[in-house]
Amino acid sequence: MQGRKILNGGTTMKPAILFFTLFLFLPASPLWAMEPEAGVIKNITGNATIGRGEQTLPAAEGVKIHTKDILETSAKGSMGIIFRDDSTLSMGPETRIVIDDFMFSPGTGKLSFVTKISKGTAAYLSGKIGKLSPGATRVETPLAVLGIRGTRFLVEVE
Amino acid sequence: MMGKNLSTVCCAVAMIWLLSATGCAKKNTFVLLPDPNGNVGEITVATDKGTQVVNRAEYSVQVSSAEDPPGKPEKMDRETIEEKFGMALAADPGLPAIFNLYFKSGTDQLTTDSDKLVPDILAAISQRKSQDISVVGHTDRVGAEDLNLRLSRNRAVSIKNLLISRGVDPNIIFVDAHGESNPLVPTEDEVAEPQNRRVDVTVR
Repeated sequence: MQGRKILNGGTTMKPAILFFTLFLFLPASPLWAMEPEAGVIKNITGNATIGRGEQTLPAAEGVKIHTKDILETSAKGSMGIIFRDDSTLSMGPETRIVIDDFMFSPGTGKLSFVTKISKGTAAYLSGKIGKLSPGATRVETPLAVLGIRGTRFLVEVE
Repeated sequence: MMGKNLSTVCCAVAMIWLLSATGCAKKNTFVLLPDPNGNVGEITVATDKGTQVVNRAEYSVQVSSAEDPPGKPEKMDRETIEEKFGMALAADPGLPAIFNLYFKSGTDQLTTDSDKLVPDILAAISQRKSQDISVVGHTDRVGAEDLNLRLSRNRAVSIKNLLISRGVDPNIIFVDAHGESNPLVPTEDEVAEPQNRRVDVTVR
């Protein structure tokens, strides 16, 4: 009886179609990781975490970084990340950085790399985004905004 | 009596204000370094009140307050750099390994030279224990932009399939197409440039 209803009833078909259409556009990753991938953690010492939405995940080698992730190292922690555009970022201890925006899609003209560092130390090497679109790379600190025309620099927020 | 109380309160308030003011006065420091090839770029430090440009290696700018312009660039000695940034610099992830692959004209078949690079790619993946590989297609600027975007994607997909056939985990391969927008050798439109007709495999 229920099967018939689904087959015949136009109103009950619609949610099913909607469901499957949505399913087609879902990325092959869990729901909490809807933000696009931006890079990967290559090396880590001590403890570090990734804040993603409501969750706090342990950082580890090989773990992907997504846009909007909040990266945090502990008192003796440090880690290095390689981004999709060949930019690299290495964080010293007690450092907190948000990957505010990362878009590397030259084919559609979308290029942007914005990070916010609220405490600690970091070494940056800007990659293809900076090369293809000078001005698309920006680092924000509590007191200033850093514009980058290449390529390697250090930031400390006391 | 009242006057004494008032001055005590005033003194306490002033002390709290001073403490919190010094507590807020956290410096932000920026230092420019040469890149791995020895080239020195340029950074611009801006607050609401002013801007400083740094274009010399190991020069730094300090900002003490968002209400002030950034300080003038000053040379930072290596000991201070090491003391402040040693841990961050030691966590350098290094550069990814990048392989440029070329195709026989009008096909999705690799040239003989590029075909020889495939074992090197596989070696780099296992050596680095890579969990993140990009396979990105590119074209030169001959032909329509949208067609080039599609062509570059087809070639990238063929390389992805090649890597999977050699045992690479499909879940760690990220395929993208940049069409004619990310050339190795920048050219005018409609210029044939074989070096730009490529698929880049980046192993992180």
